[in-house]
Amino acid sequence: MTFAATAPPAAPPKATAFAAAESPSEKTPWVFYGILFGLLGAVSILVWGPIGVSGTYPRFIGAIMQFVDPAYAESNPYLKKMGSLLKPETFIVLGLLIGGFLGAKVNREKAPKCEMIHPGETTTGKRYRDAFIGGFLIIVGARIAGGCTSGHIISGITQLSVSGFIFGLGVFTTGILSAKMLSNRRAAGV
Amino acid sequence: MLIPFLSILIGVAMGFFIQRVRASSPAMIARNLRLENISVIKFMALTIAVGMIVVYSLSLVIPQLLHFDVKPTYVVGVLLGGLVFGVGFGVGGYCPGTCVVGIGEGRKDAIVAILGGVVGALAFTLTYTTLVEPIIKIANFGKITLPEVLHLPSILVALVVGEIFIAVVRFLPTEFKKG
Repeated sequence: MTFAATAPPAAPPKATAFAAAESPSEKTPWVFYGILFGLLGAVSILVWGPIGVSGTYPRFIGAIMQFVDPAYAESNPYLKKMGSLLKPETFIVLGLLIGGFLGAKVNREKAPKCEMIHPGETTTGKRYRDAFIGGFLIIVGARIAGGCTSGHIISGITQLSVSGFIFGLGVFTTGILSAKMLSNRRAAGV
Repeated sequence: MLIPFLSILIGVAMGFFIQRVRASSPAMIARNLRLENISVIKFMALTIAVGMIVVYSLSLVIPQLLHFDVKPTYVVGVLLGGLVFGVGFGVGGYCPGTCVVGIGEGRKDAIVAILGGVVGALAFTLTYTTLVEPIIKIANFGKITLPEVLHLPSILVALVVGEIFIAVVRFLPTEFKKG
């Protein structure tokens, strides 16, 4: 019963800035934490409901709208539907921030350098461009579908929800395609 | 006050796990999506398999204590949303939760990703009635689950799907040589 990787690390010949971000081999304790995360998801369903994250973004917009233009906030059907920030999900998001901090702290990791993830990301500016576009699309996509990686894929498939399987299929289809296309230097020559 | 407190604890644990398996590293996500190192994908599959078997086993014993909440299957909108999400996942290397974890561990591009997400949420909110509502009405089958569709007992489907996930996770290598 072994989950350990057998293949040696691959070191792709890439541009300097890009190669610097590639670590040789990355064995992470994903088996241990995968089991713990599965149990955590079950605990969440026992406590209040399945884990979710992306709904917090429009709830945040709703909170700002309540402040800037309360009449609009009251009239927008989506903001009404999503409700206020006083939801367990908002506290989960707060927890994620703390958890990320603690995870880095216990392992005495320094603040990570800005990772270039595609060959086309030759400057920090280009990395920020991709992070922004990526952030925009994941929230738009998640809100169209009604959930994200946690709500649809993790919690959804855990509950054997048909929507979770369909969302996961969509995500990995274009996720793999776009990441592979951007790793082709010519395609990524932006 | 108990539920907010427990929710924060659940979030802290989740953020910790995500950080430890490097799912909050956008470079690691890109390597997973390029299928060079699929440890995060396997992490997710194992999480789902364990969760599935545990909750449906519990539902045999203490069904009244479980707060299941299945999301509606409006096929076109869910698939379209997934496809859009996937492009964003591949381009930026973050998902809505991992960028928050990334900020916690001090990643500046995670802040930029969240800004993108907030602008995305604003754009979505403003166009919801005209663009999105019509889409989510197409082929809406409601809150359906696999056991309901297959007319099989939930625990049976959970055990079979969970075992398939675990078998695939064990069978596939974690790192692939670049061909």
